[in-house]
Amino acid sequence: MRKLWLLLCASLCAAALAACVVAPAAAPAEDGMMMEDAGPSGPVTLRFLAITDDDQLNAWREILASFQQIEDGKWSYVELEFETVPFRELFPKIESSVAVGLPWDLFQADGPDMKHYGFNRVIMPLTEHFTDAEMAQWFPQSIEEGSFRGEFLGPPIMQSCSLMMYNKDFTDAAGLAPPQGIEDAWTMDEAMAAWEDATVDENGDGVPEVWGVRWGQGTWTGDYEHGIFRRSNGALGSPTHQGMGEDGVTFRGYLDTDEAVVAMQFYQDMHLKNKVSPVEAIPEIFESRQSAFMITPDNRIGALNRIHGEDGFNWGVTGIPYFQTPVCHTGSWHYGISPNTENFKEALAFVKYASSDEGARIWYKHVRQLPANIGLFNELAEYGDDGNQRIWLDAMNSFGIPRIQTPGYTEYQQLFAEAAGNIAVGADPREQLSAAARRIEGLVAKYAGWNQ
Amino acid sequence: MQATLTAEAVPGWRRLWNRQTRYYLIAFLFVLPALVNFAVFRYLPILAALRASLYQYSLLGGFGDFRGLDQYVAIFNDPYFLNSLWVTVKFTFYKVPLQILLSLFLALFLARESLATAFVRSAVFTPVVTSVIVVSVLWSMMYHSQLGLINSLLSVADVPPQAFLSNPRRALPALTAMMIWKDVGFSMIILMAGLKGIPHMYKEAAVVDGATPWEVLWHITLPLLRRVMMFVVVTQTIFSFQVFVPVYAMTRGGPLETTKAVVYYIYQYGFLFQDMGTASAMSIVTLFLLLVVSAIQMRVFRSDVSY
Repeated sequence: MRKLWLLLCASLCAAALAACVVAPAAAPAEDGMMMEDAGPSGPVTLRFLAITDDDQLNAWREILASFQQIEDGKWSYVELEFETVPFRELFPKIESSVAVGLPWDLFQADGPDMKHYGFNRVIMPLTEHFTDAEMAQWFPQSIEEGSFRGEFLGPPIMQSCSLMMYNKDFTDAAGLAPPQGIEDAWTMDEAMAAWEDATVDENGDGVPEVWGVRWGQGTWTGDYEHGIFRRSNGALGSPTHQGMGEDGVTFRGYLDTDEAVVAMQFYQDMHLKNKVSPVEAIPEIFESRQSAFMITPDNRIGALNRIHGEDGFNWGVTGIPYFQTPVCHTGSWHYGISPNTENFKEALAFVKYASSDEGARIWYKHVRQLPANIGLFNELAEYGDDGNQRIWLDAMNSFGIPRIQTPGYTEYQQLFAEAAGNIAVGADPREQLSAAARRIEGLVAKYAGWNQ
Repeated sequence: MQATLTAEAVPGWRRLWNRQTRYYLIAFLFVLPALVNFAVFRYLPILAALRASLYQYSLLGGFGDFRGLDQYVAIFNDPYFLNSLWVTVKFTFYKVPLQILLSLFLALFLARESLATAFVRSAVFTPVVTSVIVVSVLWSMMYHSQLGLINSLLSVADVPPQAFLSNPRRALPALTAMMIWKDVGFSMIILMAGLKGIPHMYKEAAVVDGATPWEVLWHITLPLLRRVMMFVVVTQTIFSFQVFVPVYAMTRGGPLETTKAVVYYIYQYGFLFQDMGTASAMSIVTLFLLLVVSAIQMRVFRSDVSY
């Protein structure tokens, strides 16, 4: 018994001793924080949440190096620390990080989610920190996408519009000559015939060595590219083309129209009947020369250059196939400053520099996607009248439309992507779209009145 | 008379502060840190979830209107939630019996000590200590219908390419097979420890009485393994009900909702649909179901035999 008491007392003493040893250790950390807040005398590391993408990370690293040298090295004490996650994890990561108070400084925000972030105050409003001259740097569409209820939430990183790139070696081998202007773009039926011709299954095992087409970047069935299908089968201004009611919370009668069902049936046929696109997406299928065509923004050029070297991949580009109306979704990434930041001054300065013409120029060098900066855009020869990327600009200006603008975009995109995935493996398009529209309305009802 | 006088002479508190009480107190003080840990990291979150399930609640918006039991009524009218429960039950029914049979088989054959069995034991146990997200990504590559290793092997036997994760009938069995491979080492080690704990004299006595190896297994080994088996069945059922990472990494609940297990659906509601109140109601219902299932399993596997 006595031994037990001794053991207990010894344990309690050890615990108390450990607590005493641990407790003072907190003090230097507080001192450290104070030093960090004191300003330029100490290093400041901005924590940046972004998607996993080598081209983007390389661009930011070079932008940082340049940022540290401006104004006679005024910001030389600023460093970046990245945490990168796959695209699908970015949204919940941002929200949960802000909710639990993690001290993130910056995050990469997808354009259509900006209104959701604004509605839920997940992002710091920046209206008063940007002058009119600074705002005039960017395309008005980008400013609109980065704003909510009149507040500017974050400058754009770039703009976008998806067209159909192709591997010239494969199209030549198949005897195909894709049209060179957006006005002559193929209809979906014409494109399907071309995709079938370009599909190569030499050994006849049912697994083509070259697939006809990959519709969209990555391996997901998100709204950015896959949502084009349904909206393209509506006439301009029709509910199908609008994609959503003006109140931002109505989807029945927009997502599940007869035209949308027909379009998504075509989408299913691509995978199952005509078999020009793999049901299970293959990562980097176009870059690895396993598909002849790909629906993508021009950022694919940056990836091709990185993988194959400049001019190492014989690519071409043509207009995006369409049903009734050509459609490409515009908008792209924005910079967001977290409301939890403890380094607002440095975060704002970095964002301003990165989104300026100078920062955007470095970004473009790595990513090669349509800039949101008008000044930079005007100096790039490839977007000039005879430039090989001019077609993306023309497409954006002639039929580009933003993705649906609602705080419920994430809820919509999740369920639309599930419906599209189900349709691709054989589910009934009408059932899927009807169910998705009904479920989305139930989930976004909480945002009713958001734009009034 | 003497006893009565003694009892009256000792004060009440002194009688309570006896040797037994002191033992209990010491024991309690030793387990107190663990109890505090459980209270703070297990029970308080459960109570918080219970509270959240009664309110309109989101991570960013905080607590809104009091909803009472409305969210419970709503989830029982949600066919997708009921489907997710059904998927989870199917996954558990596929996985737990198969895994335990396989691990019992392995435990029986690998219990004896030799270099070869030690190597095989290590090989079987390695997936247990491997990150489940890494394993999920690797298996989704192996299952790929065009590029996967499994289809490459099948093609050697002239079997045409098979879709595993994009086929509604095969996706859940494919996930189950992967998780059995991942977890079989854990239950094997527990069962092996149980087997080694059975005194040899029982088996020797049975053999002396003329029992065959099968009779020894059926009438001696398995009955004496009942308590260990209860632990394995209950823990594996709980783990199976909580399946999330493979669903998240390999199928996202598809195709056609056939792999949307309940924890993944809860994640969707809480983090993607911004409705933590409903997600909490789903969690409470799942917890209640698990408690009932565990209680039944403990009752079924109860054993009065001790050795």
